Amino acid sequence: MASTVIGTGITIEGEIATDEDLVVAGVVRGKVTAKEAVTIEHGATVEADVQGGSLSIGGSLTGNVVATDRVDLQSGARMIGNVKAARVTIADGAQFKGNVDMDV
Amino acid sequence: MAEATAIIGRATRVQGRVTGEGDLDIQGIVRGEVAVGGEVTVDSGGMVDGNVTGRKLVVRGAVKGDLVGRDVVVLEDGARVVGDVRAPRVAVASGALLRGLVEADPGDASRVPTARDHASVRTPSRDATAPSRAASLQARKPAAKEAAHTGPVASHAAGAVSHETLPSVRGPAAHAPQAVHAASSAAQGGATNHAGARRAPPPVLPSLKRARGQIVKKKER
Repeated sequence: MASTVIGTGITIEGEIATDEDLVVAGVVRGKVTAKEAVTIEHGATVEADVQGGSLSIGGSLTGNVVATDRVDLQSGARMIGNVKAARVTIADGAQFKGNVDMDV
Repeated sequence: MAEATAIIGRATRVQGRVTGEGDLDIQGIVRGEVAVGGEVTVDSGGMVDGNVTGRKLVVRGAVKGDLVGRDVVVLEDGARVVGDVRAPRVAVASGALLRGLVEADPGDASRVPTARDHASVRTPSRDATAPSRAASLQARKPAAKEAAHTGPVASHAAGAVSHETLPSVRGPAAHAPQAVHAASSAAQGGATNHAGARRAPPPVLPSLKRARGQIVKKKER
């Protein structure tokens, strides 16, 4: 289980900085800085630039994303913004608008 | 229990507002306002720099800001709070550190505390503890001031004493020692005030003149 969970119904306006796993099921507006895995669950809304080790996106994300490891856009995800990571996957059914930079 | 639980983990810092429904468990650091519909727990090691609002607040960590509970605020062992505490029910356990005004009023938690509120806590039954009704009437105003002044301390003591019976700690019970304290101190205050009124007020101006004269003398030397 992740150490930090932003549950459904919870809204954070501002900056989240964490050294542990982060799961967002609610709303985050601002900036997210994480070292480990960041999971944006289906139904979650994130309007923030997100930095993390690995990102799994199932909800709605508006903002630029930088991951040291990987970014996975799951089916049903809706993302607007640029992605920068070593590995990026976009599942069939994911909505995405933005640039992808895979460090080639 | 609640529709959602949010956890701000040990290694997490949040800078900004945390709002919404559901419960919130703060083990890390939050710098900003926290206002949720459910239960807020500030765990040991957790820290909040800002006002905290919720249905129930349980504090074992550090809070620098006001705590407002719609139902109850519980400061447990290890809690360090600098700020005002307001809720229908307030419990402060021994081992909790608190600096601020406590307003535990089951009637209306949202009301701004005033000296009159504290005075109105003294019901006629408690007037029996005062030496005479006249004295207590005389001391009504000083009593209000005294009550406002000793409010946090008295509530603190009440909470600490009744820690074992925590769930049953209610506003009136928490108020009772405070009220008695206020009444007795009011009686004392009333007595001294009464005696002071008969005597002439201490001379202020002559002493000023004297002081001036001394200063002048010193200058002359």
